[in-house]
Amino acid sequence: MAPREILKIENLTTYFYTWAGVVKAVDGISLDVREGETLGLVGESGSGKSVTALSILRIVPMPGRIIGGKIIYKGENLLEKTEDEMQQIRGKEIAYISQDPATSLNPVFSIADQLTEVIRRHQNVTKEEALKKAIELFRLVEIADPEIKIWNYPHQLSGGMKQRIAIARALSCQPNLLLADEPTTNLDVTIQAQILELMKNLKKLGMSMILITHDMGVVAGVADRINVMYAGRVCEVASTKTIFRNPVHPYSRALLEAVSHVTVKRVQPKIIPGAIPNLISPPSGCRFHPRCDFAAAECAAVVPQLVEIEPEHYVACIRAKEFMENVKEVKL
Amino acid sequence: MPIKTNVLQSILYKIKHMAKSSMAKYVLRRLLYLIPIFFGILIIVFVSTRMAGDPVKLMTGLNPRITAEARERLTQYYGLDQPLYYQFLKFVWEMLHGNLGNSYAIRGGTAVTTLVGDYAWETFKLQLTALFFSLLIAIPIGILSARKQYSKLDVTVTTTSLIGTCIPIFYMGIVAILIFSYSLGWFPYGAAHSLDPSRYPFGSYLLDELWHLFLPATVLTFAELAPVVLLVRSSMLEVLRQDYILAARASGLSERTVIYKHALRNALIPVVTYVGLYFGGMLAGAPITEKVFNWPGVGRLYVEAISKLDFPVITGITVFVTLMVLIANLVTDIAYAYIDPRIRIE
Ligand SMILES: Nc1ncnc2c1ncn2[C@@H]1O[C@H](COP(=O)(O)OP(=O)(O)O)[C@@H](O)[C@H]1O
Ligand SMILES: [Mg+2]
Repeated sequence: MAPREILKIENLTTYFYTWAGVVKAVDGISLDVREGETLGLVGESGSGKSVTALSILRIVPMPGRIIGGKIIYKGENLLEKTEDEMQQIRGKEIAYISQDPATSLNPVFSIADQLTEVIRRHQNVTKEEALKKAIELFRLVEIADPEIKIWNYPHQLSGGMKQRIAIARALSCQPNLLLADEPTTNLDVTIQAQILELMKNLKKLGMSMILITHDMGVVAGVADRINVMYAGRVCEVASTKTIFRNPVHPYSRALLEAVSHVTVKRVQPKIIPGAIPNLISPPSGCRFHPRCDFAAAECAAVVPQLVEIEPEHYVACIRAKEFMENVKEVKL
Repeated sequence: MPIKTNVLQSILYKIKHMAKSSMAKYVLRRLLYLIPIFFGILIIVFVSTRMAGDPVKLMTGLNPRITAEARERLTQYYGLDQPLYYQFLKFVWEMLHGNLGNSYAIRGGTAVTTLVGDYAWETFKLQLTALFFSLLIAIPIGILSARKQYSKLDVTVTTTSLIGTCIPIFYMGIVAILIFSYSLGWFPYGAAHSLDPSRYPFGSYLLDELWHLFLPATVLTFAELAPVVLLVRSSMLEVLRQDYILAARASGLSERTVIYKHALRNALIPVVTYVGLYFGGMLAGAPITEKVFNWPGVGRLYVEAISKLDFPVITGITVFVTLMVLIANLVTDIAYAYIDPRIRIE
């Protein structure tokens, strides 16, 4: 029996129309999130991960525009919905935790105000009931003294606390899908571990999640499947186990080598040589080929398609078959 | 129900907490700062005007038959023979009793408080009308322009505002008078009232007042409009780029809540600064505006008082202007604290 998908993205294309040119931030990506699963969306900074999340909610900021594709949520294409219908979906069906906890809360309103506002937007409750719900949410995200902390303003709280509150706000209306955009990136290492632990616990609530990160180490223990992205395109999709044990795309392998917390042997994380390309005029063919150690001549000419090289394992690389066969030699 | 009591506890905590960190302490601290500043300014102006010249000489200069003895008597009469510190202390003492002295020359010997009161009312009437309408028009235009950045509307608004800020008020004023008063004859040339009650439109004093106010207030409104539009637009653009706006949108809040609650509250912080500074600028710029429109305000009174070395009037206006600017500052600070909790709560 095929697992049911809560979200299915087909060929999503989002461009930014800037003075300097058209930034092809997300260029025809497809992915799906299954009921109850956590999908890791991994790629270096600038790969288009955040833009993908914002596209799902249709809140891509100016001058960005979604120019094509389909975003099927529970069988309906979100790109065909009206703005009013989208407002009912945002925060209620699909929630979002933004990248930087330091700036994701409005500095001039109290936490109580910002939480109850979202609760009352989507649920027909009184102010007191909303406040009660907010206090309960604080318990869920493990904040001590919720009755007192709730009256604070963002500047009175630490980064980790703000991120917990951002998570609480995202969870306030029991969304079916959570988009967590680098929820740990801008935090201290110890706090990172705590937040990650919290995210793991959230999985138990049965919610589906897209966990966005540039660090394979972060998704390792949380994600069920991983979707590797590079320069606006998907490179490889497989279960977390497969990606860690048997990565095929050279970019996935490079990312794994760059993991900061290597559990097996404590090696210095490797840095992928070169930089993510300019997305106004990206490289032809496979966008990774200029940085790829295994690039062949055709890599610059042919755009590789996602191909299922083994059950549930998709790779967009024209040499994928070859790598599969010689996995041992090509690996470290 | 334990949860229910929790909510109650929480609300109780809030009430207690708010009472503790109330604005009163903040305002009191600000007020205490103002006292030394006020006296500092007073000393500077008091001393510098008294070094500017001898008003008795100026008053009697045109009279060839004045005797030295008569001059002496006048000097004594005005208390100008006393040492400066004594004059100052006497002035402060009188001021604390609500007496700013009588004028030397303007409206011959009127109490300065009456004089300044009359003229200040005209200044405020004009300037506050202009400020009110310029904010009322500029804030929505600035918001709209920012929301539709680079659209035709935005480009038109920005260009017009930039041109607007470059045209000096006296030029705008003179052109407006030439067109609407001189050529078309719709409005009076200047002044705040008709001298002759028979000229009141429909015999109404109020209509006469509005008729006189209209042209200068409109010109001033337009002069104020441009900078406020540009300020609101740029401040709004900055705020709209923030993560918390994205987060608010992502929570499904309506566009109205996102713009008029989350964005505007933050975008207004620089506007509050502007309005605070405006009060200083308004009184400093008043002489020019009031000259152009022949408006009987403090600006014009100030110029006249200085040219006649009318010490009590000069000092009186200074006291008044200083107080106004300090109060404006205080109000600005309170408005800040109201808008931005980062200032209110350490
Ligand atoms: N507002 C914007 N204007 C122009 N380009 C943008 C904007 N936001 C994102 N981009 C571009 O889109 C690309 C992908 O960005 P993003 O999705 O934020 O990457 P990631 O989240 O993977 O780090 C980047 O090249 C970035 O420069
Ligand atoms: Mg990002």
